[in-house]
Amino acid sequence: MELKTAELQPKIQVKKSRKLSLKHRRNILRWGVSYTLLTILAVVTIMPFLWTVSTSLKGQNETIFSYPPNFTPENFTFENFVTVWNTLNLPLYLWNSVVLSFWGVILPLFFCSLAAFPLARMNFKGKNLVFMIILATMMIPGEVTMIPVYLTISKLGLIGTYSGVILPGVVSAFAIFLMRQAFISIPKELDESAIIDGANAWQIWWHILLPMVKPMLATLAILKFIGAWNNFLWPLLILEDSSMYPLTVGLYELKGTFVSNTRLIAAGALIALIPILIVFIAFQSYFIKSAYSSAVKG
Amino acid sequence: MYKARTAWLFLIPTGVLLLTFSIIPAVAALGLSFTNYNVFQPIEWVGIENFSRAFSDDDFWNALWNTFYYWILVTPALIVIPVFLAILVNQQLMGIKVYRLIFYFPALVSVVVTAILWTWMFKSDGLFNAALHSIGINPVDWLTDKFTAMPSLAIVTVWQGLGYYMLFYLAGLQSVSKDLYEAAELDGAGFWAKHIYITFPSLKPIIFFVTVVSTMSAFKEFTLMLTMTAGGPIGSTTTLVYMIFEKAFTDLEMGYASAVSTILFVIILILTLINKRALDTTQQ
Repeated sequence: MELKTAELQPKIQVKKSRKLSLKHRRNILRWGVSYTLLTILAVVTIMPFLWTVSTSLKGQNETIFSYPPNFTPENFTFENFVTVWNTLNLPLYLWNSVVLSFWGVILPLFFCSLAAFPLARMNFKGKNLVFMIILATMMIPGEVTMIPVYLTISKLGLIGTYSGVILPGVVSAFAIFLMRQAFISIPKELDESAIIDGANAWQIWWHILLPMVKPMLATLAILKFIGAWNNFLWPLLILEDSSMYPLTVGLYELKGTFVSNTRLIAAGALIALIPILIVFIAFQSYFIKSAYSSAVKG
Repeated sequence: MYKARTAWLFLIPTGVLLLTFSIIPAVAALGLSFTNYNVFQPIEWVGIENFSRAFSDDDFWNALWNTFYYWILVTPALIVIPVFLAILVNQQLMGIKVYRLIFYFPALVSVVVTAILWTWMFKSDGLFNAALHSIGINPVDWLTDKFTAMPSLAIVTVWQGLGYYMLFYLAGLQSVSKDLYEAAELDGAGFWAKHIYITFPSLKPIIFFVTVVSTMSAFKEFTLMLTMTAGGPIGSTTTLVYMIFEKAFTDLEMGYASAVSTILFVIILILTLINKRALDTTQQ
């Protein structure tokens, strides 16, 4: 066996050196094709955004829909942003979205990691049954239970309140599952020594385990933030007073009332996008991680 | 180590919420399907009347057809195109991360903003028609023609989903060992051979995952229809969930709407089981 490889060695060496220049040429071709494709696709992807940005910066007398389409504003102005900010309750909608998103992140993180703790680290009768029931709820689409959930919220007297908007989305089987996975990977000895030191279960969960699963909490927080910031259906169904609307519902109403003023709506839509863009750029690596944990492990 | 009582104490708060907003509503949705509940009158048991009404209701069949039509338009595209997108962004190229971020970003845009952006793209004098004009084709009434309305919405969904599913495939690609590709290259395998014999087989679990997720979300979609076409023109974009939404919250026919929800749930359940069967048989 060894003899054979020794014999082959020089031949491979020769082949490699000739292949290198070929490989080099192939690489350049591959880069060229890749960058061309990537750039075309990227431009197509951001086209609607580009168009909206250009529209929001156009002056009152400029044509928006024209042939050929004009992407560079001639009377460059920030006036539309100022107008939409001052006249359309936008700061209020923004603030409402912030409040809803805050609770829409904090409550799910708290409740889901609370339930994940015993499921990951305790032994008790019925544990597997409970976990299976939780997983089974993943099969129930929210759209199917929309009507009974609405009726429940109405029976609880929560129509028109933020509690009514937030509560249906607090617990999700997927979040419990992810937190359970994170807790399971911590060594069991940690709990044992903490108990010997006199810590109770709550203290172990709050002071020892939670700080150790921060990366998973962060991933979940970002997913929940995107969901809460973009939540449209429940605020639309539950809220009655327009002064309580989040940005999504506010924009939806705006779209109806200011149908003719494309510039203002463009400015409003962009303002709604900015927080998402900031969170996305700041925490980009967590998005890759969340995709990984749900597709490969899950 | 821990007492059983402690475990239950930790489970109760979450359990109460799960019961209130998921498990009991699921049972209640089934129960309501057999009643004539309409908010104003006392609730009354009507047996299978709602179901027989649905099966003889043209609106129901139209919504069912539209739902399948939308699914067929979006799901194959969302399973296949992101694979190639993922292969493209899985290369070691300068600035590749920026491209990944650009492709993924549409997935994070709320449905309302998406609807605003794309309604303009599809306007009679919008970008799409400008592009058609430049190659000498007459303008199309994208969202206001009953034949093009649903395909237009499908374009929006694909635009929004490509980067999202790309990320799953990318995660899958990065767990494929590089040695396999190098060995294949030494054996003289080209682009297609490498991907047909290495990439696609190792992505199989993810392809199934994407199939399930994109199918589920296609069958549940309705906010895009609500914000872009309001189910029209002439009901051509009214999906099952849109019909449920309208019947329940506009016509207040909660009983009938619940029956349609139950039918939708059964369809989703069947599709999930088929998918699971397919996954199990291929993994054996």
